[in-house]
Amino acid sequence: MLQIQNLHAAYGKVEVLHGISVEVPKGKVVTLIGSNGAGKTTTMRAISGMIKPVSGSVTLNGKDITGITSDKIARAGLAHSPEGRRVFATLSVSDNLLLGAFPRLTFGRERGDVPGDLARVFELFPRLKERENQLAGTLSGGEQQMLAMGRALMLNPDVLLLDEPSMGLAPLLVKEVFRIISELKGRGITMLLVEQFAAAALDVADYGYVLENGRISVHGPAEQLQHDPAVKAAYLGAAH
Amino acid sequence: MEILAQLVVSGIALGMIYAVIAFGYQLTFATSSTLNFGQGEALMLGALVGLTLVGHMSYWLMIPLVLVFGALQGVFVERIGVRPTLKTKSEFGWIMTTISLAIIFKNVAENIWGRDDLMFPSPLPTAPLQFFGIRVLPMEILVVVGALAIMLAVEIFNRKSIYGKAVVATSNDRDAAGLMGINTSMVITFSYALSSMIAAFAGVLIAPLTLTGATMGVVLGLKAFAVAIIGGLNSGMGVIVGGLILGIAETTTGYYLSTGYKDVPGLLLLLLVLAIKPAGMFGKSVIKKV
Amino acid sequence: MSMLKKVSVVVAIAVAAMLPTVWPNPYYIHLMVIIGIYAILLLGLDIVVGYVGEVSLGHAALFGIGSYTAGVLNFQLGVPFLLAVPASIVVTAVFGALLALPALRVNGPYLAMVTLAFGTIIQILINEMDFLTNGPLGISLRKPVFFGHHINGTDYYYIVLFALVLTLFVVQRILKSHLGRAFEALRDSPIASDCMGVSVYGYKVYAFVLSAGIAGLAGSLFTYSEEYISPNTYNFELTILFLLAVIMGGRKTRTGPILGAIIIVMLPNVLSDIELFRTISTAIAVFMAVYSVYAVATGQRTPKQLALPLLVVIALAVSGYLMQDIAEQRLTIFGVMILFVVYYLPNGIMGFLRGIVLKVKPHWIHRHEEIHEHGDNQHVWSVPEHPVTEQGYLLEARNIIMQFGGLRALNEVNLKISKGSVHGLIGPNGSGKSTMMNVLTGIYKPTAGEIEFNGKLITGASPSSIAGEGIARTFQNVQLFGEMTAIENVLVGLHHSYRHNLLDVVFHTPRCRREKNAARVRAASLLKFVGLSDLANEEARNLPYGKQRLLEIARAMALNPSLLLLDEPAAGLTAPDIKELMGMISKIRDHGITVILIEHHMDVVMSICDTVTVLDFGQKIAEGTPATVQSDEKVIEAYLGGSAQAA
Repeated sequence: MLQIQNLHAAYGKVEVLHGISVEVPKGKVVTLIGSNGAGKTTTMRAISGMIKPVSGSVTLNGKDITGITSDKIARAGLAHSPEGRRVFATLSVSDNLLLGAFPRLTFGRERGDVPGDLARVFELFPRLKERENQLAGTLSGGEQQMLAMGRALMLNPDVLLLDEPSMGLAPLLVKEVFRIISELKGRGITMLLVEQFAAAALDVADYGYVLENGRISVHGPAEQLQHDPAVKAAYLGAAH
Repeated sequence: MEILAQLVVSGIALGMIYAVIAFGYQLTFATSSTLNFGQGEALMLGALVGLTLVGHMSYWLMIPLVLVFGALQGVFVERIGVRPTLKTKSEFGWIMTTISLAIIFKNVAENIWGRDDLMFPSPLPTAPLQFFGIRVLPMEILVVVGALAIMLAVEIFNRKSIYGKAVVATSNDRDAAGLMGINTSMVITFSYALSSMIAAFAGVLIAPLTLTGATMGVVLGLKAFAVAIIGGLNSGMGVIVGGLILGIAETTTGYYLSTGYKDVPGLLLLLLVLAIKPAGMFGKSVIKKV
Repeated sequence: MSMLKKVSVVVAIAVAAMLPTVWPNPYYIHLMVIIGIYAILLLGLDIVVGYVGEVSLGHAALFGIGSYTAGVLNFQLGVPFLLAVPASIVVTAVFGALLALPALRVNGPYLAMVTLAFGTIIQILINEMDFLTNGPLGISLRKPVFFGHHINGTDYYYIVLFALVLTLFVVQRILKSHLGRAFEALRDSPIASDCMGVSVYGYKVYAFVLSAGIAGLAGSLFTYSEEYISPNTYNFELTILFLLAVIMGGRKTRTGPILGAIIIVMLPNVLSDIELFRTISTAIAVFMAVYSVYAVATGQRTPKQLALPLLVVIALAVSGYLMQDIAEQRLTIFGVMILFVVYYLPNGIMGFLRGIVLKVKPHWIHRHEEIHEHGDNQHVWSVPEHPVTEQGYLLEARNIIMQFGGLRALNEVNLKISKGSVHGLIGPNGSGKSTMMNVLTGIYKPTAGEIEFNGKLITGASPSSIAGEGIARTFQNVQLFGEMTAIENVLVGLHHSYRHNLLDVVFHTPRCRREKNAARVRAASLLKFVGLSDLANEEARNLPYGKQRLLEIARAMALNPSLLLLDEPAAGLTAPDIKELMGMISKIRDHGITVILIEHHMDVVMSICDTVTVLDFGQKIAEGTPATVQSDEKVIEAYLGGSAQAA
């Protein structure tokens, strides 16, 4: 479904990604874990068009989407719930969600049943339904995270990119977020998940890639990585 | 007392024109953090094109054509003056380019329509109406109604239509808007088109009340700066209050002090607002997350 | 300055001094006087537009104020030339301050807007206030009389030449000093600048006031040159010409303004002579065509890039042949010229030439002054300017709340930092560590709560004043002054140690020289401490990432802080580098500097921190010695499956 091959990315002169290759098969959850500064968010941004890769390729459903603008990539069917949520603060919750479906309401994606999908998102995130008409900037961190995820789902995407959905959230909310990711997995949504909480990520994922200093150091089925002693020591800490 | 009331009423029409131009500044500043230093020239071109058209058709028929012209002029300014500078590192290159375009437009207008001021035929009867001893020109009422109508139309568009929401989203967070599938370059071009269109409309509104010529836009654009800052470059409705304040301040200064000094309140208010509350009277000081 | 440069300057001045004898025609002498006067103004304008990067649309008005101050003083009070000129400088500088102080407080196009409004108003006011200025009738006066000799046109030329050389000298001195460095720093990284004690707002205002004073000088000289002034001269067209001159001549150079002045003085003459216009525009078109062929042939540029500018230049030449009177179109031509320069010659003609020389003979261009001071271990440490007096905690943050809209990034966080300790601040991503750092250094004003440092309340103070109190920091996303060398970066941090003022700078007094040398030795020593001595004269943006982080530490230490905040200093470093870093931090602590350390590398935190505070979700969840914290259940849960990461 989503194929990243030999991707190089840089900020100015400094190269941050040195040729990474990741594959996200249809209906699977793939996670990208690694320490801070390893390049996880940079990878996401390079895929969704927020930054332009230096070289390499990104293919979605057979279509080459390398280096094109992010709006075109969204129209091609890739939704990105970005790091730091980045909701539209002066718009209401429902407007934020509707904007997630912008290509469906205007052009670029098949329209489908937008009101129905909106209702389904509210089912998934009841707290958002309560705050339907509230301005997104007044929501708490956890609520904004849910809004960002819901907004991405409204695209009816082929692939969903989730960038650090747990960041800055209270432990209870982190559990909630991962429960929702599980549920989405149950619905067959293809996801690429970047997380600092490696254990929880590997719990819910099918496959995992470990990113270290801009390179993939090890990858494999999630269960295998969970029991890999090196990965355990580096990323799973005292708990496991 | 009567004189004061008369001055206030005269100030209102003037103030609404300032407000409308300032509203245009806000539109582009919100989406691109730039504004058109040649906004006054957009107004001037609208008025002059309107003047030419009104010789062949009625005022009311001319308006939509001028709106289209204004939109195209805005697209031109954005493509030539703004878009290229946004790509380069220069923070304020767009100030220089929009000013250059402004002086070019002014020169071209002088060539086409000459340097003298022209009379714009009024679509409404010129006899003033009397309300409680205060004289109001029908055209002044049209200015106020027209200005409010077009600002309201844009606000409704922003709130109700998905395209309007896309524009607001771009103002909030350009990158995130792109992730939604919104073509943010096009949003910026659109906001410039809208901004110039509004200025052109303001041009045909004010033209029957004042002298129409190549130089009419300069001072208006400048005063509208003051209004935009007083009202707040980020706030919508503040410009109306700001416009009214400035309009009334000018008519009263012009009468009580001297007509020569009527341009001074604008600058003083501008400096005062920047010194005390830079975000404007109605602006919200947004703490940006670094 | 190199010998070659010094010699060429002397030769240039000598040639300029000889010009009146070569061209004794009074018309040409007057033209050259105007060029000189404009050049003076442009040298000042370059500080604002070229160095600080702000657009001023009111310099014609400031020029007018200088002009009219001299004129009015003479007209109303008979004040002579030698008093009128300094008075003009001061008065115009005051006006500059009145404009700059409100307009530069917030980032944005406000200065341009304010100066544009100002320009319009001044013309109107000069016209209106005829009791002072004689209104539209203007003011007449005569050139001064010195020792019974009435100054004539040629004598005045020498006076203006002297003023120009003086201005060149003063401006050069200022821009090569720490003031010039401050101007460059604030443009390169405003955040770092503020946090290093170089207030962006303060220096922008300073730059504008300087340029206003210089404009005042030019204005007063202009009054005596013309012997008649009237309000019409100081109009928008003149302001446009000034801007055109400064960007076309070449910013950040001394020759650029002079070249620009020549261009804008000659321009009206060219435009009024249609034959001359045709010749020159055709010559430019031919040159462009030849250059385009050369550039495409050598692969430097694509045809697509050159198509539009070439077309514009050819159109200009053609229009010269189609029209009889091009002077009417001069505003269009100015507009097109500005667009052309902004897009294709952003560094002006001098910049363009410099670029060519750089390619052909790179060693002729010295982009930075090479500093070869040797540092030593003695000069690394210095007594903090604000010695720590408090007996208790050095820093106390009480009940800090930081709210961004609906997001509560910090929720009633209490932090107590003991003097002389290394205090770690850890927590998962998004837990609020960097936000706390930004609150402590004044980048954010906390929604609620207080911060007390060394017995003084610093809540809500600006970053530059907090830096002045003795708190220094490094940044998670490196905020170096990329275009400056490593040692220059550190010298910015040493800005606070320069006690000498503008006059000292201009006259290069012993005090100025002493402080400069002391700073250089200190900077070199700091570089040695972090191991970057070899790279002292290397541009910061060219340094490898790890070294950049070390440079930030050296720069922060230059502030003589009592408290040093390090934001993820180990990120991106290799294992041996991390070991060296830990050694550095220990030494820093041993010399009495308290350290707050944000880090994700657990072994770094555990081995050198005395106390550790753990944040999660904007709240403090644990605090204590590293061992206590490591075994705390809440901490383990917060890091569940995640960030308890080894190097």
